[in-house]
Amino acid sequence: MTVNSPIKVSKNYDVTAWKWMRYSAFLLIPLVWVHSIIQALLTGGHNLSLDYVALRWSYTGWRVYDFLLLAFAFAHGVNGLRQVLLDFVKTSKGRKALSWGLLLFWLVLSVTGAIAILGGVKIPVK
Amino acid sequence: MENVKTALSGYAKYKGREGHFAFVLHRISGLATLVFLAMHIVTTATVYFASQWYERLIQVFRNPAVMLAEIVMAFFVIYHGVNGLRIAWFDLFRPDLWAVGTSRRSATTTLIIAFVLWLPALSIMGYNLLRYGFNLSGGK
Repeated sequence: MTVNSPIKVSKNYDVTAWKWMRYSAFLLIPLVWVHSIIQALLTGGHNLSLDYVALRWSYTGWRVYDFLLLAFAFAHGVNGLRQVLLDFVKTSKGRKALSWGLLLFWLVLSVTGAIAILGGVKIPVK
Repeated sequence: MENVKTALSGYAKYKGREGHFAFVLHRISGLATLVFLAMHIVTTATVYFASQWYERLIQVFRNPAVMLAEIVMAFFVIYHGVNGLRIAWFDLFRPDLWAVGTSRRSATTTLIIAFVLWLPALSIMGYNLLRYGFNLSGGK
């Protein structure tokens, strides 16, 4: 056996998550940066309004774009938070509670966001 | 509590130079981005669930302090992306570059690239902060 022989890693959730943090990174760099350039630099918060969101979401392409952002960015972020918190929580009971709590947090916000993207803007009745 | 203390003192005292700095900044920028993102999802979702709140919520983004925080956020998002690209690239394709010398140099390069990429964001968002945050209209 040489020093450089690859180590066999058994497949489990954390191995898959480790890989997906990196795959999603490649995807998120263009997705997040283009989104930020358009929204924060070209549009700017001072131009934001309900009508602006309605106009933006009248294009199916932008809804798909926002859906991809929601799916990949938030999952990447919550798993990242999990990795950070695992440094602080060492008991298996605590880690289990942490993982389930974060899964629930991820699920609730993702579903909320997904419903809003699918449902679109509801202009309030005046 | 003991675990928290051990982890935090490790963050603070570990003498890992450039790599240590990159690790800490990657975590801080990632956490800040997640907090922003969670709020962003909830506030944007009001366009469907309670659109009468949306116009009021986005007034918050016109507060100069929030606009300033967004300029810092822009640096965090850029840094987290450039450094994340470095990590993903090295881990998946070039693990040999994690050798001390190249890893230290790449951490420094990452910081410089992120700073340079941030400058256009700083100028545009800084201009918007003065123009719309503080209502300075440039002599008009």
